[in-house]
Amino acid sequence: MVQNYQLLMLFFAATTVVQGENNNDNDISFTRDVRPILSRRCFKCHGPDDDARVSDMRLDTRAGLFNGKFSPIVPGNTSASELYSRITAADPDMAMPPVDANSQITDKERAIIRRWIEQGADWENHWSFSPVAAPRPSRNRTRATGAIHNNHPIDAFIRSRQQPLGLRSNRQATPYVLIRRLYLDLIGLPPTIEQADHWRTTAFTQRGTIKPSQFASLVDGLINSKQYGERWARRWLDLARYADTNGYEKDRDRNMWPYRDWVIQAINDSMPFDQFTIEQIAGDMLPAASTSQRIATGFHRNTMLNEEGGIDPLEFRFYAMTDRVATTGTTWLGLTIGCAQCHTHKYDPITHREYYQLMALMNNSDEPELEIPDAKVDQQTQINLDKVQQLIRALPSHWPTGDSDEDKTGTRRVIEQRFAKWLTQQKTRVRNWTTITPAKFSANLPHLELEDDGTVFASGDSTKHDIYNLEFSVNPDNVTALRIEALPDPRLPNRGPGMTNYEGTIGDFFLTEFHLEVNGNQIEFTNAEHSYAKNRYGDKDTSAKTMIDGDIQTGWSVHKGQGQRHVAVLLPAQPIPSGKWSLTMHFGRHFSSSLGKFRLSIATDHKPLSANELPPAIERLLLIEPTSLSSEQRQVLKDEFLLNTKELAEYTKEIRELRKRLPLQRALVLQQRPRSNPRETYIHHRGEFLNTKGESLTGSGLDALHPFEGEFNADRLGLAQWLVSPQNPLTARVIANRHWQAFFGEGIVRTLDDFGFQGQPPSHPQLLDHLASSLVTNNWSVKWLHKHIVTSTTYQQSSIVDPDEYKKDPRNQWLSRFPRTRIDAEIIRDSSLLSAGILSVKMFGPPVKPPQPAGITETAYGNPKWSASDGEDRYRRSIYTKVKRTAPFAMGLTFDAPSGEFCTARRDKSNTALQALTLLNDIMFMEICQSTALQLTNLRSTLNSTDKARAVNAFRRILIRPPTPTELDEILAFYYHQLAEFKSNKKATQAVVGKSDNPTAQHAAWTMVVRALLSLDETVTKN
Amino acid sequence: MQNNLLHPLTTASTSRRHFLRDCSVGTGKIALASLLANETLFASPKSNAKTGLPGNIDTHFPGKAKAVIHLFMAGAPSQLELFTEKPTLTKLEGQPLPASILGDQRYAFIQADAGVLGPRFKFGHHGDSKQELSEALPHLATVADDISIFNAVHTDQFNHAPAQLFLNTGFGQPGRPSIGSWVKYALGAETNNLPAYVVMNTGGGVSGGAGLYSSGFLPTVYTGISFRGKGPPILNVETPAGISDSAQQATFDLIKRLNQHQLAVIQDPEISTRIASYEMAARLQLSAPELIDLTQETQETLDLYGCDPTKPSFARACLLARRMVQRGVRFINIFHSGWDAHSDVAGNTKNNTGKTDQGSAALVKDLKRLGLLDETLVIWGGEFGRTPMIEQNPTLGRKMGRDHHPQAYTMWMAGGGIKRGYHMGVTDEFGFHPTEDAVHIHDIQATILATLGLDHERLTYHHAGRDFRLTDVHGEVIKQALV
Repeated sequence: MVQNYQLLMLFFAATTVVQGENNNDNDISFTRDVRPILSRRCFKCHGPDDDARVSDMRLDTRAGLFNGKFSPIVPGNTSASELYSRITAADPDMAMPPVDANSQITDKERAIIRRWIEQGADWENHWSFSPVAAPRPSRNRTRATGAIHNNHPIDAFIRSRQQPLGLRSNRQATPYVLIRRLYLDLIGLPPTIEQADHWRTTAFTQRGTIKPSQFASLVDGLINSKQYGERWARRWLDLARYADTNGYEKDRDRNMWPYRDWVIQAINDSMPFDQFTIEQIAGDMLPAASTSQRIATGFHRNTMLNEEGGIDPLEFRFYAMTDRVATTGTTWLGLTIGCAQCHTHKYDPITHREYYQLMALMNNSDEPELEIPDAKVDQQTQINLDKVQQLIRALPSHWPTGDSDEDKTGTRRVIEQRFAKWLTQQKTRVRNWTTITPAKFSANLPHLELEDDGTVFASGDSTKHDIYNLEFSVNPDNVTALRIEALPDPRLPNRGPGMTNYEGTIGDFFLTEFHLEVNGNQIEFTNAEHSYAKNRYGDKDTSAKTMIDGDIQTGWSVHKGQGQRHVAVLLPAQPIPSGKWSLTMHFGRHFSSSLGKFRLSIATDHKPLSANELPPAIERLLLIEPTSLSSEQRQVLKDEFLLNTKELAEYTKEIRELRKRLPLQRALVLQQRPRSNPRETYIHHRGEFLNTKGESLTGSGLDALHPFEGEFNADRLGLAQWLVSPQNPLTARVIANRHWQAFFGEGIVRTLDDFGFQGQPPSHPQLLDHLASSLVTNNWSVKWLHKHIVTSTTYQQSSIVDPDEYKKDPRNQWLSRFPRTRIDAEIIRDSSLLSAGILSVKMFGPPVKPPQPAGITETAYGNPKWSASDGEDRYRRSIYTKVKRTAPFAMGLTFDAPSGEFCTARRDKSNTALQALTLLNDIMFMEICQSTALQLTNLRSTLNSTDKARAVNAFRRILIRPPTPTELDEILAFYYHQLAEFKSNKKATQAVVGKSDNPTAQHAAWTMVVRALLSLDETVTKN
Repeated sequence: MQNNLLHPLTTASTSRRHFLRDCSVGTGKIALASLLANETLFASPKSNAKTGLPGNIDTHFPGKAKAVIHLFMAGAPSQLELFTEKPTLTKLEGQPLPASILGDQRYAFIQADAGVLGPRFKFGHHGDSKQELSEALPHLATVADDISIFNAVHTDQFNHAPAQLFLNTGFGQPGRPSIGSWVKYALGAETNNLPAYVVMNTGGGVSGGAGLYSSGFLPTVYTGISFRGKGPPILNVETPAGISDSAQQATFDLIKRLNQHQLAVIQDPEISTRIASYEMAARLQLSAPELIDLTQETQETLDLYGCDPTKPSFARACLLARRMVQRGVRFINIFHSGWDAHSDVAGNTKNNTGKTDQGSAALVKDLKRLGLLDETLVIWGGEFGRTPMIEQNPTLGRKMGRDHHPQAYTMWMAGGGIKRGYHMGVTDEFGFHPTEDAVHIHDIQATILATLGLDHERLTYHHAGRDFRLTDVHGEVIKQALV
């Protein structure tokens, strides 16, 4: 076994050398060959981590290597180089790495270091931290047989690496293969037979050679189609860890899809990648940020939310922040920044402190839901309010009455009498409230602000037990009643009045205790009333009275009363004297439940206890002597009377309904906090939430990259600008590499998420820099990059494997053939829907649920059901399929789609028996087979109604190219055999065709054919 | 030695390699052999003699266990009702704990000053080993001499989803590989006909969701495969209605021939892998129904487990687990949720032991009499324990319950090289803190791997810039519990 390991190690070491720019054994590259060894074997103890460094020897910096204590490296002199002495020492006390270390240096690695020292020990900055170059390809006019060389720069760079190895690219792929490849790559769907035939004749010569300008039109058409955005958004959503639910135990639904739609739209609009970045990181901070720019900040709202009873919300907010730092690192910088959460990075130059400085840049946001303005809703609201006015004016005519004129006159009189009586009644109830405004106010964690109308507004973070302290200087003596108004506000979750933003009813509060001390004396309240109270959990009392019962576990809440004003009125045992009032309000459940907006008022009049208030404007009118009322005021009161009198209840119900605020779609967004309430960021020792140390940090970028301080503001917008700064050596490379990987299955840097010292160096460094620099100079246009790639012959070559070349390059690193890759889960499903002719091209909107076998979601918490959508929503593109984190869509999971729980830079491409079973047996695919087969049996014209024509049609719907005669024979033989079986078995026929009034053996047998074709390797592969 | 070969080789043939090496259900040997011939790059340390299916690393040292059955009691059973009698709690019932005991522990629901609650069941000592068990576990009492009880287990998390993830993946948030995934990754499969890593769910849904058996950052083929209680045991393993066995076979044949035509043209070995995966699917369609066909079991066996062979239950899952072990399945999770006794801890305990006690004990007995216990590790326990203090909350309608308690609770293990009739770990008189032989969840995980011959410090995978382990940078094997 040990021998095997060594063999493997040797093999890998050898490939490392081969991968480099130059194959010459006499030219060791520090970046390519040496630093990875030092990083892997030495940096843990002699690297960037100050805490872990065990001696003064430091090997991760130029100074440390050459000028450090002990002379680790003396160029040209191995025996004087302490590092070399140590790694070759026989004495176990001297040997490095220490004999008990997990990581031991190999002979091959020793040899590399020796040669490097002997050759003069040139030091270079890490390749990915060096500025992006704009290399020019050398013009290579050699015509290799079979491959037509244009002067496409991509081909030149690829060729320059192939030639020394005796490799060359394949011939051009055949037209149908190439058309299908282009469609799958650019829009994530195959062409229809008609489209394929059209492009076969227009974009290719009869012999199958590309006609460049027509081919370019094909590419342009695809890149500018709406389906393009749906295809490429899905890849971005993998990085964004997009999901339609919160994750963890409860995994409730969330309003995330407006962000998903934003991504699709932005991509279709060809938004430059730098702007695409800035809007997602900090769209809310742009001047006069639009709704769309605010929705874009959903990128970092895709973090999970734990709504489990009993969690500490701030702890899980911290975890969300660590996810944001790590995801930003992976997505834009291709760095494993997450490693520095607990301690300084062991391999890369990212310190523990820098990790939290990056976090500080992002840490100053609130996480509200944005109501998306909707002109249609506004219009409907206006229509409703106009209708309300009409209905109110018509109310008197509905007063119960006889038919004669006399009756009608009498009725007017009756209404007047009743109105007068109502006014009198109301006046005995209504109090003359005076708002009191606090002179001082504070809270344990929420940020309180006093607003102009005497309201107190809370924002920021909250805990499971919040305490508000308010101090008032009250003038009037003998206060007989105190009123709390809990007020709605668009800034609050679900418009408030509460701050509850997880687990409970969003926008609710739970006011458990209300204590008032006046001039040092505790005030006793004897009674209290509320206008509305409802509990979300349990059947116990929730009421204003429970605020004054001394029990911290009971309180007042307004479940299902969100977006409305509610009041509670409290009566003291004795009138309360003037002076210094100190009020303490306790809020608490096992989740945050503080009041978001409230106002306090006092009254000195003597009235019965009641919280049944009319709207404040009406209440004020009721305080005016009836004789002093203007006619307008009188009419307002009269309308209010009519709205509340029982004789008209039947007619006022509709008015109440029409007055309800129409719901607006909401979206999870980030919102920069006001400067008055900054959130501090500290270093967390060992990455632990409760274990902070040191002073509050100012945000900053990474020192190893381009400068941050002095160039950018220390906030999210600064971070976004720093990421896409032309100085940044990483972002453009990381993005270009990831797009390359989308087409070729592998990146130029194979470790898509690690451009650090431990990542693999680029196989084609010049090509990578060419793509990265051209991306930027072409205004960060990803569409440009895609067109650039697919118009290269490297992309257009055949995937047929040449056995000789396979031996030279089994991993196809040098692209002497087009790499075949299994297509993504979403594309497999969408393609089969398209081939069945049932794919819906409807774009955008809430997530949908395609059919899947029973018992998938039921294993998640609460055993939620998955009721498949009806109609066209059943057959929408997979990007619209609901992503439930704790119970992912089964077909997607089987084909390696991510669960949306963490940033995914690269998907696996597994090949399993479960995939075979899914394609063959899953109910969704069975439906697709039945639909396709039905269309085959419906082919009626003489030309295509033969079985042979049907078989060709079935084959081409799925695989685009025509079948070979052998393939056709196989399919027809199978078909006739199945047909005979079904003809003698009606029951089986019915079962196989599914819902059908006219089940035929033909339909069943074609269903079987399609089912086999959908299962082919070629069907799920990009050839 | 550093397993550098674990660095993800992001190659075009990654999928083929993983398929060959790790796919739960093996390929046909002929296909495999021909494929391996192309695969010198991926020569593996050692092939499994029986299946020809290599794991990624093989064992680090000889291990006793070949298979693991994890009976995961999701929701957290009360150790104070089941394993450790604490008379002090009865004596002081209703009084708060001393502040010195409480420390600064955060609680999910209760206030730290809640009064203590005495145990709701009587306790006794069972077997020659005098294992302490309550009357709520009469069946476990009959195998007391076959198990090791750990009475001072502690964890880092005090809420369900994070703690369940912590127990099953070594980390409190989703994204890390589960124990079963690590084991399958390391050791590969013992069977060609069934998945190597199976998950059964017998209660309600689990808080941790699919993350509890996810492969995390390991390739997706290491994910646990759900074995379902109702309907076809494996998703889509059943041929759709109306398609006869012969029609299904004809379909497999057509697919194979058409794939072979393509292979002849394209010559990409990946097509061979696809052909093999369909052969495997065909075998799975036969072996899965055979596995769940309990008519092969005697009435005596069914009675031992107390299971109705036609109805999904925990006991039936235990019997299926035994059948899986016999057929070479490597790692089996049985999730039973419902233990979260915030209210009425007595009723909850009775209800859940009623569902799980007989099946768990029968599994140990059955494995033992079949001679399989020595090579099968059985683990029983929840994600944390329950508080000595009472939980009650009129608003939430809770009374006589217990809250979550991460400091000390109980798990037991049996077989696979674990001592018989052994117990370790002592807690203080309140059952609050360990006083002797505390074991951390990472220790439990290290021990599970050790029984299989795996060193938790050497079983690593390079991901996101560093080498990850199941036990992070912690964990020690509980050596005194090993035979």
